Amino acid sequence: MTETALTTAERRQADRPVLSVRDLHVRFATENGTVHAVRGLDFDLRPGQVLGIVGESGSGKSATSLAVLQLLADNASVTGEVLLDGKNLLELDDRQMCAHRGKDISIVFQDPLSSLTPVLSVGRQISDALAVHNPGMDKAARRARAVELLDMVGIPSPEERFDAYPHEFSGGMRQRVVIAIAIANNPRVIICDEPTTALDVTIQAQVLDVLQVARRETGAAVVFITHDLGVLAGIADEILVMYAGRGVERGPAEEVYHRPRMPYTMGLLAAVPRVDRADRTALVPIEGSPPNLLSEPVGCSFADRCPLVRPECRTAEPELRPVGRVEGGATHLAACVRSQDVAAGTEEVRAAFRAPEIPAPAEAGVPRQEREVVLAVGGLTKTFTVGGGLLRRRRSGTVHAVDGISFDVRRGECLSLVGESGCGKSSALLEVMEFDPQQPGQIAIGGVPLHGPDGRSPSAADVRRVRRGVQIVFQDSLSAMDPRFTVFDVIAEPLDADGWSRADIRRRVFELLELVGLQTDHVNRFPGQFSGGQRQRIAIARALALNPALVVLDEPVSALDVSIQAGVVNLLDDLRARLGLSYLFVAHDLAVVRHISDQVAVMYLGTVVEHGDVDTVFDDPKHPYTRALLSAIPVPDPTVERNRQRIVLQGGLPSPLQRSTGCRFASRCPVFAALPPAGQERCRTTVPELRSAGPTRVHACHFPDEPIPTTA
Amino acid sequence: MSVLLPGAAAGADDLPAPDGVTTPAAQPVPLGRSRVVLRRFLRNVPAVVGLALILLVAVGVLVGNAVSPYSATEPDLTAIGQPPSAAHWLGTDQAGTDVFTQLVHGTATSLLVGLVVGVSTPVIAAVYGCVMAYKGGRVDRSMLFVLETLIMAPSFLLVAILMAGRSAGIGVLILVLVVFGWMNTARLVRGLTSSLVQRDYVRAARYSGVRPFLIVWRHLLPNIASLTVLNVTMGIWGAILAEVSYSYIGIGVKPPDVSLGTMLASASQTVDSYPWMFWSPVIALLLITGPLALVNDGLRDAFDPSSGSGGRAR
Repeated sequence: MTETALTTAERRQADRPVLSVRDLHVRFATENGTVHAVRGLDFDLRPGQVLGIVGESGSGKSATSLAVLQLLADNASVTGEVLLDGKNLLELDDRQMCAHRGKDISIVFQDPLSSLTPVLSVGRQISDALAVHNPGMDKAARRARAVELLDMVGIPSPEERFDAYPHEFSGGMRQRVVIAIAIANNPRVIICDEPTTALDVTIQAQVLDVLQVARRETGAAVVFITHDLGVLAGIADEILVMYAGRGVERGPAEEVYHRPRMPYTMGLLAAVPRVDRADRTALVPIEGSPPNLLSEPVGCSFADRCPLVRPECRTAEPELRPVGRVEGGATHLAACVRSQDVAAGTEEVRAAFRAPEIPAPAEAGVPRQEREVVLAVGGLTKTFTVGGGLLRRRRSGTVHAVDGISFDVRRGECLSLVGESGCGKSSALLEVMEFDPQQPGQIAIGGVPLHGPDGRSPSAADVRRVRRGVQIVFQDSLSAMDPRFTVFDVIAEPLDADGWSRADIRRRVFELLELVGLQTDHVNRFPGQFSGGQRQRIAIARALALNPALVVLDEPVSALDVSIQAGVVNLLDDLRARLGLSYLFVAHDLAVVRHISDQVAVMYLGTVVEHGDVDTVFDDPKHPYTRALLSAIPVPDPTVERNRQRIVLQGGLPSPLQRSTGCRFASRCPVFAALPPAGQERCRTTVPELRSAGPTRVHACHFPDEPIPTTA
Repeated sequence: MSVLLPGAAAGADDLPAPDGVTTPAAQPVPLGRSRVVLRRFLRNVPAVVGLALILLVAVGVLVGNAVSPYSATEPDLTAIGQPPSAAHWLGTDQAGTDVFTQLVHGTATSLLVGLVVGVSTPVIAAVYGCVMAYKGGRVDRSMLFVLETLIMAPSFLLVAILMAGRSAGIGVLILVLVVFGWMNTARLVRGLTSSLVQRDYVRAARYSGVRPFLIVWRHLLPNIASLTVLNVTMGIWGAILAEVSYSYIGIGVKPPDVSLGTMLASASQTVDSYPWMFWSPVIALLLITGPLALVNDGLRDAFDPSSGSGGRAR
């Protein structure tokens, strides 16, 4: 490692860019014509620097990373220059490129499961990466180095885990292995393409730590590609904002976050809800959707969505030019003819980014206890049997996905279920929707219990009647609509099932389209022709068709880009106020949860560990799991992010097959780890019951007031 | 099934969404799936040639029937065992029957069997498989039992027993081929559909109270249309070969009815002395099965967005 440290110092001194991209163009040939995905991108990467490339889907950020490594499919054509130490990589053929891939430039992809070969042990995969570029290295040396790498990325007992296969690791651990492979040959550049997007926030925090370690150890420069401004805030030195295949703003992180000069960047920052703030003002959405790059945009590509657009914006596409110098010699560049106005913060600029008004719900003045209970759930349980056997169904175990949870949702309020993936929040939602007569818990909708007093199961007619009152919106709007249905058919389906006449259905569909803010002349289009945000509006229209009292929202905005997400979140807020709806909401993005909900229930392994008023829980979490979860969420503000104390949980979710006797969180609990033996004994043997802490919150922890050791 | 744009699936998942909504005038409306499939199919030269050949054979059967002055069953006693000539284009057999006329009738019979069996088995399989997958539980298990029993049954022997001693009539043969021909496809359909049942739009329909029959009809069956179409071409191919094989060993189509199988059976004894009797049905058979395989390949590549052999958009 000393050798690496030396070269790092040398490279720093040189301060010559290790990777330079000049006028990069990527074009894809598709059935509909040529898509110009990257249109003249320039950037420099200096040794040891972290460049964050941020952009929404379709902005060309992934195409850029793949073009640098020449990993694009055959239908792509790449022009321009990618200079690695002055050598143009685009002139190399595939064989010559192999000498650089993994040695000088390596990449970490989004999905660690598909980046690793399932049939080889992780140790073998790391030593293969070493063998390719170090033909002289013998097997023992490779093994030693692989174990060293596994240790460096924080795999516990690396010597034993060397022979383990990818499926034996959790998602976060797999991503660590991928990082180990990426840094195996001390690369000069590591490209990280959304490396934490597929991971839970707690795991994301761990992986970001590992990436920092990897960068320190190898001295490599990092290109970090993401759509999440929060993730970048903590790690990036320089930010490049991409829109429609071009860089539209570039500069030091603090500059870009605190003094954005391009309306798109301002819009992105205004559209992100903040987990660290309690204010309930609406988010600022960016209207419209990114341009289709099948045809070259005339003028500024953002002009159609820009609140500050002027006629001159439509004549020529603005170049990325310096808008200010920062101390240290760095330059802040923006591609906007109005960057001076933006910098000055004129009244017009402030008005353009002012949040829209959302009416207050009619129920706002009524105390919670006096409001009508829309959904009451008691002891909700969902188990899956894990079994196999050739001839007979053998039970090898039972997974308690949802283990007796209780909550109620009152009129006009939003209850959110939060937790890591696998905590049972989505299972709980689906169980509410399923009306399964076998369900051991009680579900009452609008005061009508699903099971009669004598325990008989409801008739089909009863179920259909109750169903009218509860509807669902799914996460992936594309898979939630039959691709063969037009928008009209999609929205008409529940009405048709409810026996409406054709004329009434027509009237209602148009009414609903207007309600969710879509143009009525879109009724004959297919879901695939809409953008994600518009599709989610269609899904909301379908859910509202039968005037339900409760809408169940299963991650409704997590598949959307932030600029679009803000619009859908505002729509949900607005509809709740206007129609007096109640929401049962599931999301992994706690910032969105804080913004939209009144009540929050934090789930861990099928049970609720903390439940209460959203501001109480977020501002003063009691359960160590809630505390860790909240501290792991990145905030889109470099100043805040760099000074935050973070609780990094060890490991991932334990196997749900084993039910521990005591507190389920004990195995990962930082409080538990620091307790004296007597306290640990209590956590291990006694299941903590939900107890009140203040008037508006309950939690399930024996030691809610113990301090937690944090890492900066 | 959700892929409307194969180009997007061909390796560039960071492309802009097909979005014809914000500025409809400037942006092309994405092609419908069937249009894309048709385009990809037409770009595949061997498949198009195959399709043309099959159509040619079908037209040949219709035209041949009209131009031939002879009967397929009535022998011409003045010309026994004649090689091809102007009067008898493909010669005559030992009994004096015109081989060309026999060939036209035989091809028609084989095509008829192939078409009826090839179309009806995938349809039965699609309905059966969909119902199994949607219903699940006990219904699924008992339907699966029936299916697997039929798969296990020694169908060849059963066909032999059922067909033995029956006089001519291709109806029974078609029925038998259908009864023993749909199970494997049904199992495929079940597997595919049971993942569809978990799709959100099927859930959404269920949660909004749509009746099960409508869900199968509206949401599930259209999704397995591509599989069904592929199975039709494969099914026609398989049914023709099955008919030929059964007829060859004498338990399929029986004289006096003529099929390619019966022609092969009678010619096989005398390949050396009357080669024209043997080669005519062989070439006719190859002209049907070969192009069918090409068409099937072309359709499969056209339906599969990840296949590069359907030709690339350049």
